[in-house]
Amino acid sequence: MAVVIGILIVAFVAGVFGSMLGVGGGIIMVPVLSLAFGVPIKTAIATSIICVIATSSMAQTTFAARGMTNMRLGMFLEVATTVGALAGGITAVLIDGSILQACFAVLLFYVAWQMSRRRGDVVPVEGTVMPSSYYDPSQGRQVSYGVHGLGVGFTLSIVAGNVSGLLGVGGGAFKVPIMNLLMGVPLKATIATSNLMIGVTAATSAAIFYGRGYVDPRWAVPAALGILVGARIGPRFAIRLPARVLVLIFEVVLVVFGVLMLLKALGVGV
Amino acid sequence: MDPIERLVSRVLGVGIAVAVALMLSGLALGVAKGEGVPAHVVPLADLVTGLTALDPAAWLSAGLLVLVATPFVRVGGSVVAFAVERDRRYVLVTAVVLAVMCLGVLLGRA
Repeated sequence: MAVVIGILIVAFVAGVFGSMLGVGGGIIMVPVLSLAFGVPIKTAIATSIICVIATSSMAQTTFAARGMTNMRLGMFLEVATTVGALAGGITAVLIDGSILQACFAVLLFYVAWQMSRRRGDVVPVEGTVMPSSYYDPSQGRQVSYGVHGLGVGFTLSIVAGNVSGLLGVGGGAFKVPIMNLLMGVPLKATIATSNLMIGVTAATSAAIFYGRGYVDPRWAVPAALGILVGARIGPRFAIRLPARVLVLIFEVVLVVFGVLMLLKALGVGV
Repeated sequence: MDPIERLVSRVLGVGIAVAVALMLSGLALGVAKGEGVPAHVVPLADLVTGLTALDPAAWLSAGLLVLVATPFVRVGGSVVAFAVERDRRYVLVTAVVLAVMCLGVLLGRA
């Protein structure tokens, strides 16, 4: 019983932060399940995949209703992510896993530094490519923007999909900076769109994990229930908080995530 | 506000509510039968018989499966939304994404 309550609480926290930042709850769920609760790693990953889907779908009920999700952009980049994920095997042969992890840790620090240098959100520029607009309560106005840098975004999404599949980390931590820093998408729309994408990617692999019997209801059910409650609340924070606060929280997450990955690369078990 | 997006968001909400109801029923059945929470999900083929036999594992599995199905509804709904807008390019892009998702399901069964 204590274990179930523990999982519910951890999942709730993961749901709030995962949906608020568009990164899903996997970053928190996998290490906590495997380290603190001693869940076998494949079961932990299967549970985390269920959690990412729960985060994504629950968050979408809020973000989609507010028109914050840029469906065109999400589907466009999802094609790239999927192509990258399918090509994961090729990269695995070419590059050593720990070198890849170290490179990505450095990249995460670099992204965090780039985001802090700009101190806040991108200035939205209206355009004709995948145009979208939403109401931002923290600014009290309608934000309209167009997307740019489609080529760069698509290419880097292939890389992100490829490597995130390999390293077993959610792509959200990379999708958000790609859309926000390089494609001119305001942070809140970025978070909403990333939230959509992680669910689509996770659903694709969830079927495989379910079919192979890695989904264990003892972990997956309480985790999913906790996540759903958290992901009901998270998007409200994302919508109400000023973008610069979200950027700050996101930077902290990137640095923590980078440190964890660096430790993994150095062989310190996490 | 796009009416189709609103509809998709509603359908997602209903899907999640059904998933939660199934999982809570499964937990309740497990407690009522004194079996606790089972360690394995039920394969798709045995799901219906398990549900009718009030097997807790089947009810929990059904809840998890409905949850896993929600992103399919989200993407499928968007194919329809783009078709209504007559945006052929994005009907194609979104259909490709949906096809890849279904490929994952086929791989899972193999």
